[in-house]
Amino acid sequence: MLPFIIRRLLNLIPVFFGATILVFIIVQAAPGDFLDSKRLDPRTKPEEIHRLERRFGLDKPVLVQYGYWVANLVHGDLGLSFAYDRPVSEVIPRPIKNSMVIVIGNVILLYLIAIPVGVYGATRQYSLGDKIVSITSYFFLGFPSFFLGLIVIYLLLQFKFATGTFLLPVANMTSGNFDTMTPWQQFWDIAWHAVAPTLTLTIIQVASFARFMRAQMLEFLGQDYIRTARSKGLSERTVVYKHALRNAVTPFIATIGGVLPSLVSGAGFVEIVFNWPGITPMVLSAINSQDIYVFTGLTAITLVLLIFGNIISDLLLALVDPRIRYS
Amino acid sequence: MPESVSTKASAPVTPKQNLGVTGEMARSESQMQVVWAQFRKHQLAVFGGFVLLVLYIGAIFAPFISPYGISEYSTTSITKYHPPTHVYFRDPATGVLSLPYVYSTKRDVDLTSFETTFKEDRGGPHYPIRFFVHRPDAPYTLFGFIKSNIHLFGVDDPAHIYVGGADGYGRDLYTRIWFGAQISLTIGIVSASLAFFFGLLFGGMAGYYSGWVDNVLMRFVEILSAIPDIFLLIALTAFLPQNMNPIFVFYGIVFLLGLLGWGGIARTVRSQILALREVDYVQAATALGAPESRIILRHMLPSTASYLIVSASLAIPGYILTESALSFIGRGIREPYSSWGLMLNDVTQSGFASFTSRPWVLIPGFFIVLAILSWNFLGDGLRDAFDPKKRR
Repeated sequence: MLPFIIRRLLNLIPVFFGATILVFIIVQAAPGDFLDSKRLDPRTKPEEIHRLERRFGLDKPVLVQYGYWVANLVHGDLGLSFAYDRPVSEVIPRPIKNSMVIVIGNVILLYLIAIPVGVYGATRQYSLGDKIVSITSYFFLGFPSFFLGLIVIYLLLQFKFATGTFLLPVANMTSGNFDTMTPWQQFWDIAWHAVAPTLTLTIIQVASFARFMRAQMLEFLGQDYIRTARSKGLSERTVVYKHALRNAVTPFIATIGGVLPSLVSGAGFVEIVFNWPGITPMVLSAINSQDIYVFTGLTAITLVLLIFGNIISDLLLALVDPRIRYS
Repeated sequence: MPESVSTKASAPVTPKQNLGVTGEMARSESQMQVVWAQFRKHQLAVFGGFVLLVLYIGAIFAPFISPYGISEYSTTSITKYHPPTHVYFRDPATGVLSLPYVYSTKRDVDLTSFETTFKEDRGGPHYPIRFFVHRPDAPYTLFGFIKSNIHLFGVDDPAHIYVGGADGYGRDLYTRIWFGAQISLTIGIVSASLAFFFGLLFGGMAGYYSGWVDNVLMRFVEILSAIPDIFLLIALTAFLPQNMNPIFVFYGIVFLLGLLGWGGIARTVRSQILALREVDYVQAATALGAPESRIILRHMLPSTASYLIVSASLAIPGYILTESALSFIGRGIREPYSSWGLMLNDVTQSGFASFTSRPWVLIPGFFIVLAILSWNFLGDGLRDAFDPKKRR
């Protein structure tokens, strides 16, 4: 097992460097320069700009700059955020944590809903319930996440105008009086604000997950060993849950590793719609203000998590499926 | 060899065997005929195809079927967020049926809350809806050579007909939806074609030549897929400067989307080509000395065609979705052009909360949903139609 992990790591290292170089070239080649705003700021001394230029080698070619960046990376230094005037390693943990709130909630909900719904659809194929589930999942498949978010906000606001109370908060991550709350209240406050964006994300993804789960279950329920299990008189419950489900659910277990990078790349446009201070809004503002080290830092962390996620997926797959051996 | 023997042996028998009860010869169907027959049985797919046909025809004739020009708004009467115009079919006083007409509206600003309302001038004249009206204010050119200013319907000034309300500039939403369809629907097809072109080219190269070409290309695909798409897209749109001509921005977005999508296609094409290279008929063609171009074009591509058709129709909705999201956050299509995502950006203007008073700005979103759903239905139908295991 260990040699496999090492080999996999070695394979993925070129991907890490290739991807960071690519990102570096892209952000550097974009017109404009993040020091432009500093240069225009009369409070910044010319020596300060020279010092920054020297520190990151901005007067040098892109690949040399990349070398500086990697050298700093080895020392745990992701560079300096120009917009926040603080090290990147201090700036990016907060949005990552914020995004994780939504993404973790989303993943848990997704599995909790999609797997039972898929099993139901497969065991009662073409029943009324199955048809309703299929049609709704088809319907939500067509919704862009940001548009569904807008509709959720619209409905919540209409509810508010009708009754005078907010069913759920429609924007931001915390209430106005967040700072005066006890830690326990703070936890609930964030969880309360996370409900609408998490549900929006989940509704869209449940559709495709449940469809996939249903197809998986149908495939396994049609196999010979299921007929054998039924013919030796096992209860339907045992057949479905112990024999079919265990096999059908393996690809879902294997994709858990793939969830890791999405923890960092965040909930995407839903965060923008719900004004959630997560990764995507930060990436957007970093690109807008040419805050390149924030961007490269976020990409680097995503890549590292992607690499580990891939390895975890492989290991989990071997764990749940004894036919797979890595040697 | 055995094949030729069997045909010889059965040759005199087959025509007789194929004689049906009516004495007619059973006709064999081509692949496309089978696929078409299968496709027609898929109701949702036929429905999707029909909706798309309507949308695309609407997009082509956008300037004709819409009463206004793409960025036409009145400078004399402000119609910012004008609600959808009510069309009357009977006289309110007498209740007598009449030809459809509208009233002109008057803008009213509440000086305490600064809320704008539009009141119908019920006492004023009726403005009947006219068909095939000449509007010199909104000329257009169809297909690049038919110059005209005839619009399917319209009303006389000072009344307005806003079927779907007006946007933040007071422009007709219905008009902009059809102009937006031109961009949103084109981007899906063009970007997908671009992605498939690159995917086929590089995937084909990697699969056919293997060796270092394969290695380099596949590592590059791996690198590209490792970076989250949303990061790459946002970063790449920084190449389109703020003062760029909007038409070049459009081309830029199309190119970017195509650029990001080819990796997955290249990977699949490569694996198909790798498998195909070992197939007997390709080996035979190679042994007979057929040139590479002939092997690739005549033997390999046709057998991947059904896969390509299906995955293209399933990829297009993805591009429509991405374009709308990019335009929504203000990094995609730019004014004065219109796209469904860009129109939804209007929702975010002057605070999210205020859009509850103008829900019609959400309408373009339902067009996105409709287009994506229809493409999905169509793609599913095609996939099932091409799949011999799913014959019905």
